[in-house]
Amino acid sequence: MDMEPAHLPRRALLAAAATTGALAALPTFTATAVPQRPADTTAFTNDPRHQLWWRAPADDGSMIEQGLPVGNGRLGALASNDPGRETLLITDATMWTGGLNDSLDADGQFPYDRDHFGSFTLLARLTVDIPDHDLSAVTGYRRTLDLDRAVVTTSYVRSRVTYRREIFASRPDDVIVLHFTQSGGGRYTGTVTLAGTHGEDAGTSFAASFPGGLRYGAAVTAHGDGGRVTVDGPHVSFSGCEELTVVVSGGTNYVPDAATHYRNPSLDPERLARTKVRDAAAHSAATLLRTHVADHRRLYGRMDLSLGTSSAEQRSLDTWERLRARARDEQPDPELEAAYLQFGRYLMISGSRGSLPLGLQGLWLDGNDPDWMGDYHTDINIQMNYWMADRAGLSDCFDALTDYCLAQLPSWTDLTHRLFNDPRNRYRNSTGKIAGWTLAISTNPHGGNGWWWHPAGNAWLCNSLWEHYEFTRSSSHLERIYPLLKGACEFWEARLLTTTLPGTTREVLIADSDWSPEHGPLDAKGITYVQELVWTLFGNYCAAAAELKRDTGYADTVAALRRGLYLPQVSPTTGWLEEWMSPDNLGETTHRHLSPLVGLFPGDRIRPDGSTPAEIVKGATALLTARGTESFGWANAWRSLCRARLKDAETAYRLVVNNLRPSTDGGNGTAPNLFDIYEVAEGRGIFQIDANFGTPAAMIEMLLYSRPGHLELLPALPDAWAASGSLTGAGARGGFVVDLRWQDGRPTWARIRSVGGRTTTVAYAGTVRTVRLKPGESVTLKDLAR
Amino acid sequence: MRSSPYAVLPARTLRAAVVLALAAGAVTVAPAAQAEPTAPADRTADTTASAPAAKPYMGWSSWSMQSSKYPGLNPDGDYSYLTEANVLKQTDALATKLKKFGYEYVNIDAGWWSDKSWKPGYDQYGRQKADPDRFPSGMKAVADRIHAKGLKAGIYLPVGLEKGAYGGGKVPIWNADGCTTADIVYGDLRTTNGWDSAYKLDFSRPCTQKYIDSQARSIADWGYDFLKLDGVGPGSGKSGDQYDNVADVAAWHKAIAATGRPIHLELSWSLDIGHAADWKKYSNGWRVDTDVECYCNTLVSWENSVDDRWDDTPAWTRHAGPGGWNDLDALDVGNGEMDGLTKAERQSYATLWAIAKSPLYTGDDLTRLDSYGLSLLTNREVIAIDQGAAPPARPVTASDPQQVWAAKNPDGTYTVALFNLADAPAAVTADWTALGFTGKAAVRDLWNHENLGTYQNKITQSLPAHGSRLFTVTPRGSTLTTTAYEAESPANTLSGNASVADCSACSGGKKTGNLYLGGKLRFNDVVVGKAGTYWVKVAYISGDARSVDVFANTGNPTRHKFPSTGDWGTVETVSVPVTLKAGSNTITFDSGTGYAPDIDRIDVPKTS
Repeated sequence: MDMEPAHLPRRALLAAAATTGALAALPTFTATAVPQRPADTTAFTNDPRHQLWWRAPADDGSMIEQGLPVGNGRLGALASNDPGRETLLITDATMWTGGLNDSLDADGQFPYDRDHFGSFTLLARLTVDIPDHDLSAVTGYRRTLDLDRAVVTTSYVRSRVTYRREIFASRPDDVIVLHFTQSGGGRYTGTVTLAGTHGEDAGTSFAASFPGGLRYGAAVTAHGDGGRVTVDGPHVSFSGCEELTVVVSGGTNYVPDAATHYRNPSLDPERLARTKVRDAAAHSAATLLRTHVADHRRLYGRMDLSLGTSSAEQRSLDTWERLRARARDEQPDPELEAAYLQFGRYLMISGSRGSLPLGLQGLWLDGNDPDWMGDYHTDINIQMNYWMADRAGLSDCFDALTDYCLAQLPSWTDLTHRLFNDPRNRYRNSTGKIAGWTLAISTNPHGGNGWWWHPAGNAWLCNSLWEHYEFTRSSSHLERIYPLLKGACEFWEARLLTTTLPGTTREVLIADSDWSPEHGPLDAKGITYVQELVWTLFGNYCAAAAELKRDTGYADTVAALRRGLYLPQVSPTTGWLEEWMSPDNLGETTHRHLSPLVGLFPGDRIRPDGSTPAEIVKGATALLTARGTESFGWANAWRSLCRARLKDAETAYRLVVNNLRPSTDGGNGTAPNLFDIYEVAEGRGIFQIDANFGTPAAMIEMLLYSRPGHLELLPALPDAWAASGSLTGAGARGGFVVDLRWQDGRPTWARIRSVGGRTTTVAYAGTVRTVRLKPGESVTLKDLAR
Repeated sequence: MRSSPYAVLPARTLRAAVVLALAAGAVTVAPAAQAEPTAPADRTADTTASAPAAKPYMGWSSWSMQSSKYPGLNPDGDYSYLTEANVLKQTDALATKLKKFGYEYVNIDAGWWSDKSWKPGYDQYGRQKADPDRFPSGMKAVADRIHAKGLKAGIYLPVGLEKGAYGGGKVPIWNADGCTTADIVYGDLRTTNGWDSAYKLDFSRPCTQKYIDSQARSIADWGYDFLKLDGVGPGSGKSGDQYDNVADVAAWHKAIAATGRPIHLELSWSLDIGHAADWKKYSNGWRVDTDVECYCNTLVSWENSVDDRWDDTPAWTRHAGPGGWNDLDALDVGNGEMDGLTKAERQSYATLWAIAKSPLYTGDDLTRLDSYGLSLLTNREVIAIDQGAAPPARPVTASDPQQVWAAKNPDGTYTVALFNLADAPAAVTADWTALGFTGKAAVRDLWNHENLGTYQNKITQSLPAHGSRLFTVTPRGSTLTTTAYEAESPANTLSGNASVADCSACSGGKKTGNLYLGGKLRFNDVVVGKAGTYWVKVAYISGDARSVDVFANTGNPTRHKFPSTGDWGTVETVSVPVTLKAGSNTITFDSGTGYAPDIDRIDVPKTS
């Protein structure tokens, strides 16, 4: 069994904490163990397949489109890579204003503002000014994001000297490092400035706190070779340095523990940051880099992908030109497309480890006030953020979501009991009963909700957490999430209504008044979105209880409720799977959300394999077709995932390609730095990270379909990738990892490795094999396509 | 008298000029013959007064600071900056810091005859008279002081008879017996100029030229070397007979010649390109655009209105040359904070002005130039582009956010400017095939005074937002060979309203036009030997800037904006990148939902 031994103690600890009921609050910014330094000093390979590169930097006005992201899972930055002024906009995943936000507005919903609900916000801004290196005065500018090493490298020539800088965010050392070197007799002269973005004074360190009580701080240190580095008022000045190393860190006193109101009052973030940069700076930049690369590769190396070979002309272009050429010429660029997927994995590793999960913008901001607070949206966005992780060999990165839900659960439960049945809340339970927990469309890390109640959000989160179990078969994970699943079931048990279907005598259970995200009537009962999610939740709960041999009686109750649930039918008017219990289209035909199709993806209820009535598959397909292929980012990604499930390879690929369209002037598409841009208003594009994970998830889903007990190879392989390719390390539900090679559109070799799964069928086209394995064992299949 | 104001003239003409200066200083009527020495050979004999414009003029103008709300500049109300003391302060600074680089004119702009509440003053002949508060020593004394520094003096007038000078029609005209202001305007007192601040002059009446002569006489007597005539139409935001001031300009031309003093005549603003021949005939330069100033808290701003010049200048390029130049307005790059521009914007601003061979006159406070501003204003390699013998540059690529301008120099090198007009940093490429050659070329960076080495096929540089690079490119390869495809060829496919039309300026005498609202022109059999990106040179006609979607084969279109050619009878070219496969290709020009230029021909390089 190929599990990371290093994980076991942590898993064990968490499991123990969960069983005692006192959640282990792993502080997110804390003194870390002495990093394990790799002995290996071999040179790093620079595989161009894993490298994105550009001929131009970012500036203050284009950080979100052109800044390059680095992150250690908690501490992140966008880097401008401007020769004359390197700018890092630094974030910590826990850097949030706001608080519990438990006073409802007059309409029974939650305030949604930056003071009460709060907002994800910047921690600090670091600039390294080198006045003689103005961009207009240098030549041969180039910068590279090496996804494999997680290093941003910038190089350029100034007066015949080649200058080079490397930036990386180290998890083992918990710092961001900037290392400036040169060859040809050059020198660095300039200033380093660390400043807060909330009115704090610049200095080598700073500390402050928000009204909600969160304390935060950051620190920087610098040292050089062959010159002078001095603290000069609020700046660090350097002059005549042959080489310069700048180390920055920072964080907050946030802890994921409702019992302490999510604060560690004894933690001094500024002091801790000073310690971290001092400790790291005691090591050479080369040592810090080697330590970082080894840590990153441990995760990054778990999956590899080839979708074919690009042309020499394509390879000669920088990443932005390549995106533009891809869109202009309509010629597949298989290496770029594979790199786009790997970039999603890079963001996941950089943004989701050991701290809070990825919100609407992940770990990366270009200002203090991101749209929708950069929060956790529970009606598609946070779920999509984590669809890729298990599929892409990054199950470890999923833990941040689990940790978050568990840390919020006491607060979500409390708020549900206190506030959900408030008479002003249009979504309150008309049964008058209350149990378990639910949440709002938006959530923060302080136990708080924002915007409108979102009853089914609990089911969807639980279904995501359950799927992680399906991929990993980790019993400790199942132990941890069980209270969440059970509480969600209890909520629905109290909320469901019994009704007789019109024109029949059939009694069914339907959900109380709700809003199908985010269109149509506000108060519709039995909407498909909820019926599907709760149906899946109940099934997952019963499976969980069975696996854990717990709560047998209650599981029977839930199973009975599940049997009573109304499930949607196809509208005789539109021919679509109904979104509301109505034959009419009550919303927008091409609306971004695919809420009524949650049974197609991520759910399994609607399957085009003969197990689902053909009429339902047809209705779902018709609805998907009506929604169109010209939406944006996450909406296209979701459509692509649905198309992959329907084995419609070319439409699934078209939707991927649509997301790869270059975003110009704020338009929908992919920015130069590969961030997905959503045009919220004419000419105003914002970054939403969900498509950067959803699109890669779709690409993998096109190559490998899985549900517990069944795998399907190349279910939706598009012509563009058919010639030859390979995928290694892809996670499969049921507890397997799949390696796969193909040629001329057909699999030539596959290896199925168990990470906990025991039996599964493996299918390609009409051929089906049954595989039986013990955890850790693998089997190779070579003749599936014969 | 103390020193020659014509120090930069060639030695042989210097002596004559000194004589002239002495004569002017003595306030005598200068003999017309003395105006002859500096007349350029290529101008007609009656354009003697335009001699000073053999090269674009260089200097300083007062208007940028007058018009700004920058703190402290205009403490006594709007436009109050203009005073004798301030002009002389700038004169001293110009002489000290910039004169040795070729800057020589000190130009007094609007308001010298108005008090600080903008109330104008006139002499007994209806001529503008120095405001005693602003210019207590009078206009002549100021000119003398400017000349004393070895510099030239410039002054300003609006076109027409200013309303305040009319005096009920009873004001006599100087040196014109029996003529009064009633005799020089139209009976209906129709107004003219860009602000309707003057009565239109009726040049069919014999007294009218006398009035212009009298104004010119004053200016010459005071010793001015330069006149900016403002509000001139067609232009200055006006059109139609009432605002047609061609006769005024001709009258000024004649009047200046009659003074015997070489006075540079510069016209302002946004002159009608349809009258370019008139402006060339009668003046030494013409503002092609609106004011560069922003009338805000700085002197200018990028969007208001420095960046307009990239779109508006190309139509005028062919009209610039010795004797008359395209004036892009003041070059306010000397102090970043006061200018309201980034370093990159200031460099781009100076780059465009230099390669377009615009007059180089700054409106900055010369006593407060910052070191970067001084380096921009005094870069001898860049000044040489503006002042040298090479023709003005024009765009060789479409007017897209990243664009390349170039001029082929008499010595076979190219002046090449890369611009990134986008709001974010971007790479910009100059492909040698778009310049007309292939292979290697040596590149010198003029702003940074650095030889960058030899580049194969192209040079790509990273430019900041609104940034630029300026190179001299010396070809070391071979001349480009191309294959021409005529737009009127029957082998092409036209769709929508597209149609072939006669065109005398076009190769083959025909073009394809009516490319609007879905009209398309498809070249059907464009053959290249190798797959790659080709810079296809498009010969086109477009009386205004127009965009067109271009694509090869079944690719998706890229929209390119083609700069105006100034009228519908002139062919210009720009190159656009098109990705072709080996063998036969189609290239389509699609008007899409708009109006596209008429296409004459495309030239496809034989190598990518």
